[in-house]
Amino acid sequence: MAAVDPFDSALDLLRRLNPKHTSEHLNSIISLAPDLTEDLLASVDQPLTVKRCKDTGREFLLCDYNRDGDSYRSPWSNKFDPPLDEAGAGGVSGAGESEGAGEGAIPSERVRRMEVKANEAFDIYRELYYEGGVSSVYFWNLDDGFAGVVLLKKSSTPGGSTEGVWDSIHVFEAIERGRNTHYKLTSTVILSLSATGGSLGELDLSGNMTRQVEQDLPVDNDDSHIANVGRLVEDMELKMRNLLQEVYFGKAKDVVGDLRSVGSLSEGARDREAQRELIGSMKR
Amino acid sequence: MSHLEAVSAFVEGAPPGELSDVVADIKSLTLSEPQLVAQLAPAFEKYNEEQFATVKLPGSSQAVIISSHNSLGDGRYYDVESSSSFAFNHETQTASAVQSHVIEGAQADLVKSTLKLVGSYVKEHFANAAYGVYPIESDSKVAIVIVANKYSPNNFWNGRWRSLYIFDPASSSLEGSIKVDVHYYEDGNVRLLTDKPVTASVSSGTGSGIAKEISTTEKKYQDELNKGFVSLSEGAFKGLRRQLPVTRQKIEWDKVTGYRLGQDISGGNGKR
Repeated sequence: MAAVDPFDSALDLLRRLNPKHTSEHLNSIISLAPDLTEDLLASVDQPLTVKRCKDTGREFLLCDYNRDGDSYRSPWSNKFDPPLDEAGAGGVSGAGESEGAGEGAIPSERVRRMEVKANEAFDIYRELYYEGGVSSVYFWNLDDGFAGVVLLKKSSTPGGSTEGVWDSIHVFEAIERGRNTHYKLTSTVILSLSATGGSLGELDLSGNMTRQVEQDLPVDNDDSHIANVGRLVEDMELKMRNLLQEVYFGKAKDVVGDLRSVGSLSEGARDREAQRELIGSMKR
Repeated sequence: MSHLEAVSAFVEGAPPGELSDVVADIKSLTLSEPQLVAQLAPAFEKYNEEQFATVKLPGSSQAVIISSHNSLGDGRYYDVESSSSFAFNHETQTASAVQSHVIEGAQADLVKSTLKLVGSYVKEHFANAAYGVYPIESDSKVAIVIVANKYSPNNFWNGRWRSLYIFDPASSSLEGSIKVDVHYYEDGNVRLLTDKPVTASVSSGTGSGIAKEISTTEKKYQDELNKGFVSLSEGAFKGLRRQLPVTRQKIEWDKVTGYRLGQDISGGNGKR
């Protein structure tokens, strides 16, 4: 038997085990196979956590892309909290090239200007679509363009008979090629829903779905990038919202109906069963 | 958490019909500790008994159930309908060493009549199910177990319906639970897990009374569950993210990037 790549096995396992507890499963896998730690943390999406920016008082979202050790960069103040040691600060803040996020990477001036605008734009997007919640956008430099992540989180008001949490994680690359830019977007939505009520008992419907899209779009100036990424994310979220609706409420319900039929199974089904039994008994 | 506890939890959390996939992943992740997989026997036993694993006895097409309620100890289980007992391998989920096993005792008649009538109900509502009725707790009570599976790995989904009821003839009470587990995993991982406790009373104390109560309870629960999907969709889901902004129009991004915060970018409803 050909050896299976343990990384693929880890992802397969996470795709099978209860998605409500992905973070716990991820920690268990990392304890079994510490070599995979970095790759898994970079590729497995987990529910986002919220922190308040000390400078502006506004909430922002934490992920691997704005993290340096235990510190996180606020998109509103551009500062890490807790502050980084001078010696430990990586990345560049000038016009130099720095590839990749995390480890104290701060985008170049031009990319930070776009990041500021993107945060303003997605703050409006968040209000229009989510009517609440928190959004954060982080950009970083690439050799031939830039990349970023658009994060959105909304939790339902607690106390109702149904509760839910929505996390959107949109990671994109923008490769600049003259007047056109090639965008590659990978989007994950983590959606947890639950209902508790006397006659229903406990019901948990949780999971995550990931989709990708690539597109070449014209760019006049840096504002075009924000508009292009905005449209890509908006279209993707609309598509994924429809998909989630279909899977969570259509597919899940259909499978339950396949397991147990509300009405009594038809005579025809019984005939088929009898036929199967007959065939089964002839095989003995 | 020890490594053994971690992999045992993976086994116990395997979705319907995906135990062998989960075990293959565990083996690949623990190549340096091959002894771990060898120590998983208790986890396999717990998984099979809790999930009501089914197995076909050699020479039979009828699936029989594995549960703590029909365990004879030492890895052997029995089936009332075929009056047989068998050895069960928890890792490979196969049965062997079938012997005759006839139930006797105070509940034998109730067990047999319940088995017959619950069987009629199950066949009316489940396309692919196994069921069993067993005397338990020193012949003082009767356990009724139903499990229905539907696996469609080619379409990336699997599902399981499990019901367990304990009937106490002394108090005429029927208590138990219905659990539904659905897994959908095409470009994602979505899981439905439900647990509905059931408390009812069967005053007649007969097999037909028990089967009728189960039938009524399960129909009512499925109706509630279907309503639950609607209320989640209309409630929490809708409240998290709108399909479109209030204006029913997509955002005009060119305006958004040109405008400053607080200005109108979506037909008069850009509230901040």
